[in-house]
Amino acid sequence: MATDTLAAPGTTPAGPPRRRSGGGIRSNENLAGWLFVAPVIVILGLFLLLPILMALWVSLTDWNGQGSPFTGDVPFVGGDNYAQLFTDDGLARRDFMTAIRNNIYYVGIVVPVQTALALGLALVVNNRLLKGKGFFRSAFYFPSVTSSVAISVVFLFLFANSGAVNRLLALFGLDGPEWFADGRGVLHLLFGALGMNEPPAALTSGGPLGLTWWDWLSGPSVAMTSIICLVIWTTSGTFMLMYLAALQNVPVALDEASTLDGASRWQRFRYVTLPLIKPTTFLVVTLGLIGSWQVFDQVYVMSQGDPAKTTLTPAYLSYRTAFRDFDYGSGAAISFVLFLIIILLTLFQRWLMADRDGTRRGRWWRRRVPEGS
Amino acid sequence: MAVLTDRPAPVARRGDRGVRARVNRVLGYAVLIFFGLVFLYPFVIQLGNSLKTEPDAAANPLSPFPDPLTLAGFDRIFSGTNFPLWLGNSLLVTVLVTLGRVFFDSLAGYALARLRFRGRAGLFAAVIAVMAVPGVVLLIPKFLVLKQIGLYDSYAGLIVPLLADAAGVFIMKQFFESIPVSVEEAARIDGAGVFRTFWSVVLPMARPALITLTILSFQGSWNEFPHSLVSVQDPDLFTLPRGLADLVSGSLGKGTQYPLKLGAALLATIPVAVLFVIFQRYFVRGANEGADKG
Amino acid sequence: MTPRTFTRAALAGVAAVALLGSAACGSGFDDSAGDTKQSSGPASLQILIGSSGDAETKAVQEAAAKWASSSGNTATVTPAQDLTQQLGQALAGGTPPDVFYVDASRFADFASVGALEPYGDKVSNTDDFYESLRTAFTYDGKLYCAPKDFSTLALQINTDLWTKAGLTDADVPTTWDQLTAVSQKIKAKGQVALALGDTRDRIGAFLVQNGGWLMSKDGKQPTADTPENLQALQYVKSLLTNGYAKFPKQLDAGWSGEAFGKGKAVMTIEGNWIKGALQNDFPNVKYKVVPLPAGPKGQGTLSFTQCWGIAAKSKYKEQAIKFVEAMTAGEQQIAFAKAFGVMPSRQSVSGQYTSAFPADKPFIDGAAYAQGPVNAPKMDSVLRDLEAGLQGLATGDPKTILANFDKNAKAALGG
Repeated sequence: MATDTLAAPGTTPAGPPRRRSGGGIRSNENLAGWLFVAPVIVILGLFLLLPILMALWVSLTDWNGQGSPFTGDVPFVGGDNYAQLFTDDGLARRDFMTAIRNNIYYVGIVVPVQTALALGLALVVNNRLLKGKGFFRSAFYFPSVTSSVAISVVFLFLFANSGAVNRLLALFGLDGPEWFADGRGVLHLLFGALGMNEPPAALTSGGPLGLTWWDWLSGPSVAMTSIICLVIWTTSGTFMLMYLAALQNVPVALDEASTLDGASRWQRFRYVTLPLIKPTTFLVVTLGLIGSWQVFDQVYVMSQGDPAKTTLTPAYLSYRTAFRDFDYGSGAAISFVLFLIIILLTLFQRWLMADRDGTRRGRWWRRRVPEGS
Repeated sequence: MAVLTDRPAPVARRGDRGVRARVNRVLGYAVLIFFGLVFLYPFVIQLGNSLKTEPDAAANPLSPFPDPLTLAGFDRIFSGTNFPLWLGNSLLVTVLVTLGRVFFDSLAGYALARLRFRGRAGLFAAVIAVMAVPGVVLLIPKFLVLKQIGLYDSYAGLIVPLLADAAGVFIMKQFFESIPVSVEEAARIDGAGVFRTFWSVVLPMARPALITLTILSFQGSWNEFPHSLVSVQDPDLFTLPRGLADLVSGSLGKGTQYPLKLGAALLATIPVAVLFVIFQRYFVRGANEGADKG
Repeated sequence: MTPRTFTRAALAGVAAVALLGSAACGSGFDDSAGDTKQSSGPASLQILIGSSGDAETKAVQEAAAKWASSSGNTATVTPAQDLTQQLGQALAGGTPPDVFYVDASRFADFASVGALEPYGDKVSNTDDFYESLRTAFTYDGKLYCAPKDFSTLALQINTDLWTKAGLTDADVPTTWDQLTAVSQKIKAKGQVALALGDTRDRIGAFLVQNGGWLMSKDGKQPTADTPENLQALQYVKSLLTNGYAKFPKQLDAGWSGEAFGKGKAVMTIEGNWIKGALQNDFPNVKYKVVPLPAGPKGQGTLSFTQCWGIAAKSKYKEQAIKFVEAMTAGEQQIAFAKAFGVMPSRQSVSGQYTSAFPADKPFIDGAAYAQGPVNAPKMDSVLRDLEAGLQGLATGDPKTILANFDKNAKAALGG
């Protein structure tokens, strides 16, 4: 196993110390330093940095999955794969834009709801008067540590047509939808409930980037909604912990002072607590933004893009285009666009955070993005 | 799902302080219990339905009580699927990845925190930069790299790419920086080499960080899915998440078989759940270590 | 991150990559353009199959083991959970299995990129294969691979539920109008009449029954947007919107056969594979098979076929051909037919088949009026877009679905 060979450099400095003079330690440290970091450099370089360059290269070719993509035989097509995604009117653009639309709805719901839920849970768990908070904190956090695939299996069961969620809705006299069979958008369904079953012609006749206005505007499908529920359910706990840490830093004296001033609970929350935990809110929102563009596991397990492509996301589309359609160039182009979206969001976040907490030391955790959030 | 109530319910305006506090408390508990159910009941349902017959699971999905209680689902997990194999693969991969990560990340973290060598600042910046790289967009080229270096479809392909992670390096670096330099200097003066100092003096002091990292690595590699999707295709090399995913999206003839699937998913969840119960505070620390330091 | 640290990070990254570049350019891909070196003697064949279920897996494994022990080779049969994906990764890596199933609808994709060994002329008595099956696996005038078997669609009726709904043999629908009429009666009894797969591979049969199809006869031009196809889709849409027909997902089932087996629908439209599946999973269901109801333009059904592909990169082509020869022999095909209900691809044993399985007459008869799959290269994403449209047929506009297909197919075929 390659582990042994990689471990070797690290163990070299364990031998008897050769020199002890000041300069000796220095040069010793120089060598040791590089040896110590060598395994990490090799692994991260090989499996994170090199792949970025390879993705870029493949996205400029028409490699069809036969033989190596790094020979002269592979047709170089320049920006064609990107043009297909953005400018050429065709299926590739329609699929890509559908995926983007789905993901925008996904982000638009997941991020605000999980942020609000995380804050709400943190506020309750932080309440000094309640007992058993430790248990509930763990309960809220537990879904975050479980396997996304295993949880997706559970939610598939919950959201089956005669599954637990629909039974629950039936208790309230509601007729639950066929979650993974119905490709209509929720807005479409809402209008349908009001008697408008056919989309207005003005919206179906045209629109930007290969989709009609109606395609853009009809909302996430119910299938996507159930994936959204799943993700909110699994990630809120992590963000709740971040809020908890922040809330514990809110000085009690400040809170009490404002109570004496006769501020209502809402006023205290709005004008004292919320501003104090603003950095955490920025953090949670941006982490959510970054994570929500990476949703993949849930789509793979639960819906594979169906029904009617309404749960297609760029991450899944890229995978499918490459490994199922053997169109590796186009798949790589999609993933590269996605990469740029995420990197831009990350840079924006870091810039924002650097701005906010100026001299504070770097916080490693702000980069740890809960997967699929 | 009940994700709409995001705040503790508003309270009565004015009045007796005692009453208000009591109302507050009751409301607080109500919210806690409601969300406790929302977050835990799916697991209860999962357990209950994995012990049901298929018609029972289809007819009463909401009830946690199997009627009749049957182990048929679990029976079929072990006789009808490759579950034991997936379990073995997952254990192997997770243990090796965790050991590797803890060792390599500590080494690098220590070097970045303490050793003065040329290029350190640049390297650290690179580690930070790499942390932002979203793994899911690199599936295609990761597959190509594994192919190119001949690791595709092997245990090495499953394990080696996960042996180091930038976040772990960061955790360890931060921790090592919090250990007083004097300890190491004493060891150095006694003639210990760099690695000896690291291994027998500094590392033992880093126990809390090591436990946190161990847990994060264990959880991360146990649950890892997309990587196994592009690093192996031989069913003999499937890990649990991969096997589970194929069980679910399996084509014709597999049928729904919910008790079986839920049972398999449950078994796949148990190791992390046990770990979570035992090492809870390290999980919490893992999730927001820096928040206390900031 | 400040610009300076970012530059530094970028530099470090580039340095690391440069460092690795030299190490990474090792072997891994086999780029030899010419023939792969062949090994004679005992071969160890890797066989990847897209199995319809345990019955098929077991039967193929047994047949392969028999061949291996009698020929002195070894043969490992692996059922793929997702054949397309597993095969794609294996081909991209240059380490494909030696022998694998190739579906007619993906055949052209594989053949056009040179992944398949065109071994057709090395198989004995190829004229014995049905001509339509040979056509399905011919690319650029060469027969690439031997058809494994074939199947057609027919209508299955759950006889218990049928009687319970107050229906008799006289009510078995033979036309669209009759299908609508019995569906109405079944629905009135609170049952779902028809479980219908939400794919072109089921709904497409209605197009054929109305004299239409997605592609022109020569398979070169898309012909979806025609009045015949539109009328057919409108009919299917009416079945869906009236609640007569439901997609498997609406019935909490993975596929129509499961919904049918669980008694959630009185009828379904599936192929001969449903026999084995029902036998395995739902042995107590009583049902009968009848031809699909005829449309305004007569009878129509779809046929499906797969072939035994041999990888162009296999080291054991000679042995692989012998293996395929053994698997497609008449007797072996009859054995497979008995095990998992497919129909032999060789005409010479069709008589033997019909006498062994008189109940399968509707399937075999279907061969006479069946339409094969779309088999042009690069069509997969177009067809999947069509599927997406069909999934939304109940609320969608049939005309748009068909027009989209034509537009996309033209782009894919022209480009």
